Amino acid sequence: MIGFSATKLFLILIIADILALIAGLGIGSSGVGLSDLLMPRSAVVSQIILDYRLPRTLISMIVGAGLAAAGCSLQALFRNPLADPYILGVSSGASVGAAFVILLGIASTINIMVSAFGFAIITSWIVYRIGRTEEGVPVYTLLLAGVAMAAFLSGITSLLIYISAQDMYQVVFWIMGGFWTANWLKVEVVIFPVVFSSVYLILSSWNLNAILMGEEHAMSVGIDVESFKRKVIAATALLTSAAVSVSGVIGFVGLITPHAMRLIAGENNKIILPASLLAGAAFMPFVDLISRTATSGEVPVGIITALLGAPFFLYLLRRSKVAA
Amino acid sequence: MLLEIKGLRVVLGSSEVLKNISFKVEKGEVVGLLGPNGSGKSTLLRTIYGILKPSGGAVYFDGRKMPDFSLKEVAKRLGYLPQESFDTGLRVKEVVMLGRTPYIQGLSFTEKDSKIVRGALSLVGLSDFEERRFSELSGGEKQKVLLARVFAQQTNVLLLDEPTSHLDISSQLEIMGLIRRIAQNGCSALIAIHDINLASAYCDKLLLVRKGEIFAAGKPEEVITRENIREVFGAEVEVRRIGGNILVIPSPRRGADRKKWVHVICGGGTGSDILRELWIHGYRVSAGVLNALDSDWFTASELGEVVDERPFSEISDESFEKNIEFIEKSDAVILSNLIVGKGNLRNLEAALYAAKLGKLFVLEEEGFDERNFAGEKAIKIYQEITSLLPKSRVLKDRYEIIEVLDESLN
Repeated sequence: MIGFSATKLFLILIIADILALIAGLGIGSSGVGLSDLLMPRSAVVSQIILDYRLPRTLISMIVGAGLAAAGCSLQALFRNPLADPYILGVSSGASVGAAFVILLGIASTINIMVSAFGFAIITSWIVYRIGRTEEGVPVYTLLLAGVAMAAFLSGITSLLIYISAQDMYQVVFWIMGGFWTANWLKVEVVIFPVVFSSVYLILSSWNLNAILMGEEHAMSVGIDVESFKRKVIAATALLTSAAVSVSGVIGFVGLITPHAMRLIAGENNKIILPASLLAGAAFMPFVDLISRTATSGEVPVGIITALLGAPFFLYLLRRSKVAA
Repeated sequence: MLLEIKGLRVVLGSSEVLKNISFKVEKGEVVGLLGPNGSGKSTLLRTIYGILKPSGGAVYFDGRKMPDFSLKEVAKRLGYLPQESFDTGLRVKEVVMLGRTPYIQGLSFTEKDSKIVRGALSLVGLSDFEERRFSELSGGEKQKVLLARVFAQQTNVLLLDEPTSHLDISSQLEIMGLIRRIAQNGCSALIAIHDINLASAYCDKLLLVRKGEIFAAGKPEEVITRENIREVFGAEVEVRRIGGNILVIPSPRRGADRKKWVHVICGGGTGSDILRELWIHGYRVSAGVLNALDSDWFTASELGEVVDERPFSEISDESFEKNIEFIEKSDAVILSNLIVGKGNLRNLEAALYAAKLGKLFVLEEEGFDERNFAGEKAIKIYQEITSLLPKSRVLKDRYEIIEVLDESLN
């Protein structure tokens, strides 16, 4: 633990979010700069900012925030540091959904989105049903069901990629995740499920603390654990499916952001869940900025989150070890 | 009465884990649940709290049937502490604050909640630990923090599942002392516990559970008897009383594998060596009649069973008959080189009885006259005894005893 007070941490993260928003709007490859934010040079410039960069930055913030909050919740719920938002097979389900539509040659933005969302939700529902036993939903059966389902669906995705030959590039690129197809429609689609689920998760953050000590401990302070688990799983599945459907599979942010917050601020979910959400919202547009400016084309965001996030996480891990 | 359990039955899978359990816990009472692993103690606590659903019977709290309450309402009335908890990096004050969960709406704790948390922490003596991480504490400190968590729930009843297991002795005493203190304020406690001595010292009442049934219930001195422990745990123990406390001492030495039983008539320290030799060579031993606190009495009670008499008293009819009973049951009887006086003359009569049964061996290291203070009568009996025995059974040296016994018994 590096020892920040919660207030200070939230303040820093909110400033980071504002900076991320400004950078997302003011920096890019089209030559529209920070100065244009206050006084756009032309109608085209303001169109670039409002119709292209604003929805793109907003989506990246929403997706980053949502994935980090979902990851944080699931790590606490499963008492497993390796849990991430995709643990219930959402990503592999969504990939099959997207690949399917692309292979059929009906790959409009809407179609990919609807199909990916539908497959993701159905997959997590199946995983949940398989993992459920008479007494409830034991964490380990759910995790194993998720892993097995993901392996099976990855097989199907690979098969679809193999069959699709000339469309292969499109499928692989979608799976790697990115925001280049961002538009206002996508903002409208993703904002409601993510906000709704995030609010629920934040309200559940104290109960997640009780779960950290074991499910019987949670029951001993009056929490109906099985119903609570169901709700958290449903909320994260909804959130993650919505995020994946607009941005593809963006890894690491949901895994690493909560851990980074824990290393900084301790284990209390009441603090680190909203902190993860704010941190994800700052981190994602920053990464997206790199993805659209680093090369002349677009580097998929998932690649950059992994390349940046993992070393940063290792650094924090190392530092907290030394401090302890 | 505060908590009443009526005819509780619990079936898990195909096995009936609890069968018709009924008992009551009064206000301010500390009740210990004793029983071997798997006897159903934890199941009972979990069923009372409502984690497991009974297939029959019910739990009543203040006269109301438990299923009337939601889990949140139960948590305000029963403070349940499960046996196992995961380690967590939560801070101590956060762990204790979990006890306030049933009282809050959403996420907002009030100043009252913080006050209760601080009070609970100071009660367990960990006020300075508020900001420490739970995972960094010692086992005893963790258990105290968890107790503070249940105290913060402000319930009328505590259900504690082995709160002292894996703790060192000073932490065990501290934890039990804390529970006692809470009980003085009117909070009752039902504690599953493995340490019989600890339970006897701190509990008002004990419930001895065997295979899902209450085998015995009552005050510690009524429940903790050698017979009950043997029956329920299958273990051989001594039960002693020291002051007002019960003390259970394991005595694995008195196992059933000692097949041959030798009874020693002795006293005044003349039997201790013999008893030890016999015991070392695998004999089951007993002695009698001995006055309590006689040096042979200490040796004999340590190694086997004793027929005893009050200190400095003559042998009563009752002890004499018990002695005869032991002689009849044993495989051989040894009369030690004892001093005979009026008080223990009847031991000589008992030896004569053994001689008539053909079981007696006599140790005569000194002439009988030199150690007789009971007059003519004693000499007559002793002569009768020796006349009944073959020469080979009157031994001059205690170290011959084992050899002779081994030959004649095996």
